[in-house]
Amino acid sequence: MSAPAVQFDPSSARFGSSRTQKRLEDDRLLAGNGLYSDDRNLPNQAWMVVVRSPYAHARTASVNADAARTATGVLAVWTSGDLSADGVGHIPIPPLFKRADGSPMAAPLRTLLADGTALYVGHPVAAIVAQTQVQAQDAAELLEIDYEELPCVIDPRKAILPGAPQVSAQAAGNISAEQRYGDAAAVTAAFAQAAHVTRLELHNQRLIATALEPRCALAQFEAGRWTLYTQTQQPTGTRDALAAVFNTPPQQFRVVVGDIGGGFGMKTGLYPEDALACYAARKLGRPVKWRADRSEEFLATHMGRDQHFKAELALDPKGRILALRMEGLANFGSVPVGSSAIIPLVLGPKVQTTVYHVPVIDYRVRGALTHTMATGAYRGAGRPEGNYLMERLIEKAAHEMKIDSVELRRRNLIQPGQFPYRTHLGETYDAGEFERMLDGALAAADWNGFAARREEAKRRGKLRGRGLAVYIEWTGALPTETVDIRVDADGTVTVFSGTQAMGQGLETSYVQLITEVLQIPAGKVKIVQGDTDQANGTGSVGSRSAFVGGSAIVAAGRETIARGTELAAQALESAATDIEYLNGRFRIAGTDRSIGLAELAARQAGRQIRVTATETPSSPSWPNGAQVCELEIDPETGEIELVNVTSFDDIGRIINHMIVEGQIHGGIAQGVGQALYEQAIYDAESGQLLTGSLMDYCVPRADQFPQMATHFDESVPCRTNLLGVKGCGEIGTIGAVPAVVHAVLDALSPYGVAHIEMPITAEKVWRIVAG
Amino acid sequence: MNAVVEARRNVRVTLRVNGEQTEVLFAPYKTLLEVLREEMNLTGTKHGCELGECGACAVLLDGVPVLSCLVLAIECEGRSIETVEGLARGSELHPLQAAFADLGGTQCGYCTPGILMTAKALLDKEPDPGRERIREAISGNLCRCTGYLQIYESIEEGARRMREEAK
Repeated sequence: MSAPAVQFDPSSARFGSSRTQKRLEDDRLLAGNGLYSDDRNLPNQAWMVVVRSPYAHARTASVNADAARTATGVLAVWTSGDLSADGVGHIPIPPLFKRADGSPMAAPLRTLLADGTALYVGHPVAAIVAQTQVQAQDAAELLEIDYEELPCVIDPRKAILPGAPQVSAQAAGNISAEQRYGDAAAVTAAFAQAAHVTRLELHNQRLIATALEPRCALAQFEAGRWTLYTQTQQPTGTRDALAAVFNTPPQQFRVVVGDIGGGFGMKTGLYPEDALACYAARKLGRPVKWRADRSEEFLATHMGRDQHFKAELALDPKGRILALRMEGLANFGSVPVGSSAIIPLVLGPKVQTTVYHVPVIDYRVRGALTHTMATGAYRGAGRPEGNYLMERLIEKAAHEMKIDSVELRRRNLIQPGQFPYRTHLGETYDAGEFERMLDGALAAADWNGFAARREEAKRRGKLRGRGLAVYIEWTGALPTETVDIRVDADGTVTVFSGTQAMGQGLETSYVQLITEVLQIPAGKVKIVQGDTDQANGTGSVGSRSAFVGGSAIVAAGRETIARGTELAAQALESAATDIEYLNGRFRIAGTDRSIGLAELAARQAGRQIRVTATETPSSPSWPNGAQVCELEIDPETGEIELVNVTSFDDIGRIINHMIVEGQIHGGIAQGVGQALYEQAIYDAESGQLLTGSLMDYCVPRADQFPQMATHFDESVPCRTNLLGVKGCGEIGTIGAVPAVVHAVLDALSPYGVAHIEMPITAEKVWRIVAG
Repeated sequence: MNAVVEARRNVRVTLRVNGEQTEVLFAPYKTLLEVLREEMNLTGTKHGCELGECGACAVLLDGVPVLSCLVLAIECEGRSIETVEGLARGSELHPLQAAFADLGGTQCGYCTPGILMTAKALLDKEPDPGRERIREAISGNLCRCTGYLQIYESIEEGARRMREEAK
């Protein structure tokens, strides 16, 4: 195994000088001048509402739209037949997966409106457009839909049993896709040698991203071309999916994205409502706007996680891991989205053996269809699931084998001398100092001083617990981005990137990068994102923006200097090799003859210099770290008070400390949410979403939140991209989930509990304590 | 039918928003949130849930934080309404806004206007609140991005700057 090609350039190290540049976004966001999609309106716009199925599984026997159509202000009422009659297709998903028999992944097509059968509560059934939103809402009340309710299945473990209600005729037994990894025979042999086997079954529960900004779409059709204002992490992907739905070239669409009020993976790809707004705009010849109310956000925005696992870990007498055998069952929902399958079938497995040396693995994972909303990307997307399972296994093994859990982790960590390290699943880790992160977290959290704190808590009648997790993240998906740079005659440098800011301060980080390369003031730089007429790329998913997008920006900056050097040589009548670049000026070395970037641009045709650079880091990156959580339980009520969460992470080099810290904090917050508070619950019989509001689905509030201390080790730069960055958007979530759960289990150790399913609510704790 | 038509006839109401008296024409069923955003183009105040659960639409009514999605605009005649647009003094950020910028108190910015207004109401009454009071005060404002820590720190720093100014 050869090492990945080293692309990391040590001269880029100054990007990582941990500067904290105030965010350039903040002047507008703090003043209320952000431009989110709902802040836009167009003259003469009409409003669309979407009528949704109240049943989890029902045939729409008939639709009587007479009253709705004639209601005040109503412009149109459409059901799926109207769309097909106009040749509107479905939203495609990548055909990457197969079933066990080799046939392609099976699932209902993602049509814009339910095609005769509603397959989850909230499934769009009809669209109504009126002059005003209120008129459309009133008309929706007048729409008579005759539903024939059919039996539904919610739990994927029941969905795959014989006789279960079927979601799709194509997916026999409700199995949509399946993937196997590893070496079953080698694992069986290893288990035969095991001194100890730890077994665990767990559910990584269904979550709802709940970005504060509800989805909104405003579409316009003019001169044969659409403009869609929406919020998406992937403007180009959204444009291309629209082109597929309407069977037109992508250039027929311009997707424009302004500020985004949180994405977390949920604002990826195209949603049916975006396409419906486009359909309506063309059909009616006027702009059409739609905005989800919070209830629609809960019902019909793709959810996260919902994976069941059964796993067995084989260990030798010293606690060294011999093999891992596991089976995953993912709930895809009824109508999978683009990220439904890839998360459990590919992304989770990528990190499954995490930071440990696991010689062999036998991994089978299936995706099941149920009458629920689709699951898809949500912060971490597969990596929290994989890491949580591994950490729970090792913690449980330590207890069963009566080996200190820190010590058991040490015995199994991949050691620095083992890099590049190839996992049994075929992934190559380029570098890592896993034990140093572990030691860093333990020291920062005063792990060894815990006994005194536990005693002190006990005197106050509280049960104090500490929890540890070590983990690895995988970033750098879809590793190509192209960046254009335009230098104008006034010296403005405009950077066009197809990645997409959604609150993570990308504009600021990118400006920092380009000002470093071009040695010009930040005020001269403009970053353009979120407009497919100006910039295209994969977008911002999987913590890839700095890693891939940032690298492409640096490459484009260097290309600007290279091109400028040629042009300066012509202008100064010198050889390009004699030209040096410093602080925005090209100079003939050793002379006082020079020309500025702006002046040089002014001399060119069109009074500008344009360059393009494409950057493809040679392999993904592996951020990693350790987290410690301490908390206290009130045995009277079962209530958990988080005391603190300490993280110690290797995310490579850091571009902006304040931004990165905020990313880790926010990641931890969503991990804590999963561990203690959040779960999307459908009623098993009726398929109704029981957690359909913020009063039922518990997003952590300020008074539930602990102190967080973040620490970083920047001494292991990623070697496969220009910046040495690894990605920081999701690692906080990955670490917090097991760290918090382990802290609860530790606090409850007097009660002898081996496992508690998340979310570990006060009620669950109280039941354990009350016996 | 007549009742419906009647209910939708626009009313003319004088509102005092960010210190300025304005006459606004709107349908009487409209919430303060809708009137601010749709009739006055003050889009800094955000739609989050329209059910009083998230705090994104918080504004101050006579100095007290309210969820503007639950307040009928027609009830606000003659009362003082403060929104995020009124915080800055010209091009200079309010000390609370400046502290948010310095300490990372905002990420996506969607919850920020509501949190700024709620925090301002707290600091106007209690110039030096402890962390616990701050946590309590903004516990009705959901933030999905920050984990709240940088928000607490920003409010504490904003409070300090406001006290400095008051000296």
